[in-house]
Amino acid sequence: MAKKVSSDTSINAQRRQLLKFAGASAAAGGFGLSAGLARAGATLDPGSFDDVLDVAIIGGGLSGLTSARDLQRAGCESFVVLEARDRVGGRTLNYDVGHGEVSDVGGQWIGPSQTAVADLARELEVETFPSYYDGKTVILGGEGQLAIDLEGTFGTDHAIAEKLSKLSRDVPSGAPWKSPRADELDKLSVGDWLARQDIKVEDRVSWDGSIALTGGAMPAKMGFLHFLSMINSATSDYFKLDSIKDSAQGTRFVGGAQLLSIKMAEELGDKLRLSCPVRRISNWDRDVVTLHTDQGTIRARQVIMALSPPLCQQIDFSPSLPENRAALQRAWPAHSPARKTAMVYSRPFWREKGLNGHIFQVNGPIIWAYDNSPVNGEVGVINAFVSNANLPSGHDQAKRVLAEIYAQAWGEEALSPVAYHDQDWGQVDPWTITCISAIPPGFWTTHGEALNPPSGNLIWSGTETADIWAGYMDGAVRSGHQSALEALNALRLRRRT
Amino acid sequence: MKKKILIGIPAVLALALVFFGPELVDLVRLQTYLTESQEAYQDNKGEWPHLTDACEGCHGRNGNSLHQGYPSLAGQPESYLATQLRQFASGERENPNMSPLAMTMSEEEIQLYAEFFSRQTAKENQFFDADPELQEQGERLVETGGCAGCHGASLTGQGEFPLLAGQGYDYLLKQLDAFASGERKDATGVMNSMVKSLSADDRKAIASYMASLSPSH
Repeated sequence: MAKKVSSDTSINAQRRQLLKFAGASAAAGGFGLSAGLARAGATLDPGSFDDVLDVAIIGGGLSGLTSARDLQRAGCESFVVLEARDRVGGRTLNYDVGHGEVSDVGGQWIGPSQTAVADLARELEVETFPSYYDGKTVILGGEGQLAIDLEGTFGTDHAIAEKLSKLSRDVPSGAPWKSPRADELDKLSVGDWLARQDIKVEDRVSWDGSIALTGGAMPAKMGFLHFLSMINSATSDYFKLDSIKDSAQGTRFVGGAQLLSIKMAEELGDKLRLSCPVRRISNWDRDVVTLHTDQGTIRARQVIMALSPPLCQQIDFSPSLPENRAALQRAWPAHSPARKTAMVYSRPFWREKGLNGHIFQVNGPIIWAYDNSPVNGEVGVINAFVSNANLPSGHDQAKRVLAEIYAQAWGEEALSPVAYHDQDWGQVDPWTITCISAIPPGFWTTHGEALNPPSGNLIWSGTETADIWAGYMDGAVRSGHQSALEALNALRLRRRT
Repeated sequence: MKKKILIGIPAVLALALVFFGPELVDLVRLQTYLTESQEAYQDNKGEWPHLTDACEGCHGRNGNSLHQGYPSLAGQPESYLATQLRQFASGERENPNMSPLAMTMSEEEIQLYAEFFSRQTAKENQFFDADPELQEQGERLVETGGCAGCHGASLTGQGEFPLLAGQGYDYLLKQLDAFASGERKDATGVMNSMVKSLSADDRKAIASYMASLSPSH
């Protein structure tokens, strides 16, 4: 009996710890922070001078936490992770749907060739399961609709997908500007190219939706060179990028994608500072860089910038950054503040009707709705990517509008959800700005060379810098590994001099 | 041709219902909707895919936002829209989402967006529920402040002065707050000095009143 009590306590303690990192308990998080900051000096290497850390990592998302984990595994204990939010996970976020289950309302899928994030999940003992797509998808337009089995695809035209796949072979995923056809392809938008493909009227909506969801902008503003580089990440197979089965939307994490970050954060103790935005970075071109945060200053020899270029742009650098890097940050597109919703039902009732819970809508608020129920399928969850301004902002208004659309597709049961969550990433806090980066035409050939080279002791990191699957969770993990190596090597070189 | 299609639809629907049941009716309705949407798109914009498509996720279909935080562009004066885009691009007006996007636009493209959205019909802010007391207070403040002098008698905008009637509440409030703090500046400084004397509650009242006004003349 006594044993049982103590084991319960330990589970509860663990649970509290998890909640703290997930941001579910802001008060607990805040308390941990101040204590952490007070002990900053206690993590120094014995041989180091005063209070200078070897590495400071800015950003507690998948990328920054992967770097932190690698440093720790390499024996480096002199580092800190600074996170602006009161939770870890960056653009991944679990929404608690009750009964101990969650629905992702941020980045959530992995797919074929995304081996870095898959390996990390195995190491962290986070399991995966396939996205649900068995049954018919409903296509809605006005009062009309069509229920059709797309067999785990988005119904993309094979001939056009094949052309895109072929073109992508010439566009290296991590450095599209190095393509032998870069100048020619970077002049075009995806829309310019699609306009020449004689797309059928009924297929236009699905191209609009696909490019908006995968690329982050409508075709006319999406750079063609960049879009091809995304297909190149997917082993130059369009269907491995933009489909469900055997594709980048095909596999989910049991317990939600944020669990990866939560588990990594658990190992960091007080090396992780939450609610600690970095406002200014000075002396980045000197041996010791100073970070000015809301919780005081931190000094470090190497800084891993594990945050997106638009967030780097919010930081004040002194001296100013080199002109080419500054220009890249100023111009980096940030107009894709995705809005994702989760409607919770007591059970996934649509499945019994032969429907897969997926909806595409013409001219409505829904870009794509899909069954995002937890692995056991006991609770029913419908997630949707919605068009930010084509759905009212009021929580109850948006819930009602969506429930009515779901009822049009699947029947009256859809009018009785048990919960609703609306995650408008551009509005909820200033620490996202944009979901993915809709790189416009002309960007890479102008700014590409400034993406990766470090500026002084600042190592540019985050998924946007990844050599494969940039913009995805897999890219975040890859960039995290890469930056940890770069930081360790920079420290090694310095010790030799 | 268009007329013929429109006359044909009810007849086809009736026949479909008799012979094939509701599923086919749904399909015919979907096809009709697609055709009509495509025709409307072509008439309003031209060939697909069009540059203005890129704006509609955050600014609503044809520039009518249903969201209180993302502003509507429909019916805004053309020169106001063009000026704002130029200012986002130059950094005179700051917004992390809009600035890099505006930097991608040539002057010709700026003109295209400004012309397109200025000729769209602004719709009522149907999802905004105003508190009647705040609304009344806002009306008084708007009258005494003389907002109509620049923004037009019905606050429907003119020249360099934006349409305010029916704009999103959260957006209006954010702009008033930004003028008050100096975070947003207007070239003449008039907005900054006018808003400076208002309390935070006054600004809420003004935003409530404006958001609930009809944008039609």
